[in-house]
Amino acid sequence: MRDEPYRWIEAIHDRRDYIEDQLRGGSPVVGLTYNEGMVLLTIGRGQRKIFEVHDRIALSAIGHPADIERLRMLVTDTASVQGFQNATEDVNLHRLTNFVLAHTFKQAFESIVGEAYIIKMLLAELGGTYEKNRFTCINYDGNVRTDTTSTVIGGTEAIETGMQSYLATAATDTDRDLTATLQLGLETWAVGKELSSREPEDTESEETQIDTTQMHEIIGVAREDGEIEAGVLETTQRGAGKFRLLTSQEIEDALP
Amino acid sequence: MSDNGNFLNRMGAGLQEVVNHKGDFLNLLKHVNYPLKIDLPSETTQHGVDVEIAHSTTVVVVRYRDGVMIAGDRRATAGTSVIYDRAEKVLQIDKHSVLAISGSPAIAYEIARVLEHSFQYFRRSQLQELSLEGKLRMLSRLIRDNLPMALQGIGGVIPIFALYDLGAADDENGGKIFFYDALGAHFENVNFATTGSGSIWIRGVLRYLSLFGDTPLPEMDERQATITILRLLDTASEYDAATSGYNARAQIFPNVKTVTSAGVETISDDDLAAYYAEAQPSGETV
Repeated sequence: MRDEPYRWIEAIHDRRDYIEDQLRGGSPVVGLTYNEGMVLLTIGRGQRKIFEVHDRIALSAIGHPADIERLRMLVTDTASVQGFQNATEDVNLHRLTNFVLAHTFKQAFESIVGEAYIIKMLLAELGGTYEKNRFTCINYDGNVRTDTTSTVIGGTEAIETGMQSYLATAATDTDRDLTATLQLGLETWAVGKELSSREPEDTESEETQIDTTQMHEIIGVAREDGEIEAGVLETTQRGAGKFRLLTSQEIEDALP
Repeated sequence: MSDNGNFLNRMGAGLQEVVNHKGDFLNLLKHVNYPLKIDLPSETTQHGVDVEIAHSTTVVVVRYRDGVMIAGDRRATAGTSVIYDRAEKVLQIDKHSVLAISGSPAIAYEIARVLEHSFQYFRRSQLQELSLEGKLRMLSRLIRDNLPMALQGIGGVIPIFALYDLGAADDENGGKIFFYDALGAHFENVNFATTGSGSIWIRGVLRYLSLFGDTPLPEMDERQATITILRLLDTASEYDAATSGYNARAQIFPNVKTVTSAGVETISDDDLAAYYAEAQPSGETV
């Protein structure tokens, strides 16, 4: 098939459409920094979505659970071996992204006879100083996007754009505490959820504005058959490992 | 040359084929060809006992009111030479466990490192903490795998594993002490354990204190337990040349750590200096 470029490009297009269609309904994930670290937040439907990869690295994703699991193991194994063979300080997100994950994603996506990964991955790395915190999003095709203060992954680009524009207006305080950050994260999640429930053509429209009451309704409905999940990389945590999942009580306390 | 040299190459490419190691870090290391064992040439095997390898000396663990307290002296010796006076023999493994080592430091440090990473890997890959029994078995396996080195007389390690069991009831002391033999069998010690060449001088004292002391060991508070442990190490160093005491001139103190429900804490040198003043009221050199 590679001898026939047109058919190859067509196959890639079909593959892209298929994967994006599968991803569309995925529960978005929001990554934010706060005054004592970084938080990843989502509302899951039973399956855990936020994971510890290494001392200062956490992971979340949307996509097919089997693919998430396989790639989570890949990055966890690689980080564990690198951390053991050298030192834990030598494990960093840049290397994991560029030397392990991105090309694995790309290779799987472009090997059109093989299985594709249905996934969008979000990784967070707590830096030594505030400036060095890093969020990295890896798309199913291997494209990488990096941010330092906040990021989102959603089922489609339009959903992500809608969430990002909400964050751009709402995230004015750069020195938020955890409670305020969880609230902001949940509201952003609600924006993404609302957009993902609309028809694709409506998602593109300008009318993405939803008010706080609507957001809380959306969160309330989502919590009926799901659970808020949040993991933090905390600078205040003693020892080398900075990750922990927030308890349901901590999340409950943060809710308005 | 063995295939150890391929290790780095395999890290670059081999791991992309994801194999489910079911949380077993040793399996993962084998998969990437990490050299876990040392291959000795046959002549070393024959004359192994003549090789002078660094050895560590006295470590002691007691159960006290809040959990367990672990201490080790700082001396490493090779034959009759002191080669290092700042060795760390009490190593934190995770938030609620420590390993106190005696024997060959090189092997002991590697065992501690594998153990630490194994627990982390299990938690990260399997999304749950390894159970208490699972942790004990992992250490058994590492010690058993080291048996050939122990038999050659150059790499024997006899550790004490001390931890706080978070599953213990609120009114119960969750501090637990486990002692291992060279084959990897583990035994739970109730109130104390000691190992290393200086341990023979203090084991009887520990039993006496545990049963007949004014304040039995498990009822001591942190201050009492620290003072007791410092006196025990001082006693061991008096009779065992391979155990160091407190070096006042260079301000080298033993390592003393506590493991309680709150986690592992290291008692600072400043606190140890104050405890030493109490432990040796007459101001004698220790």
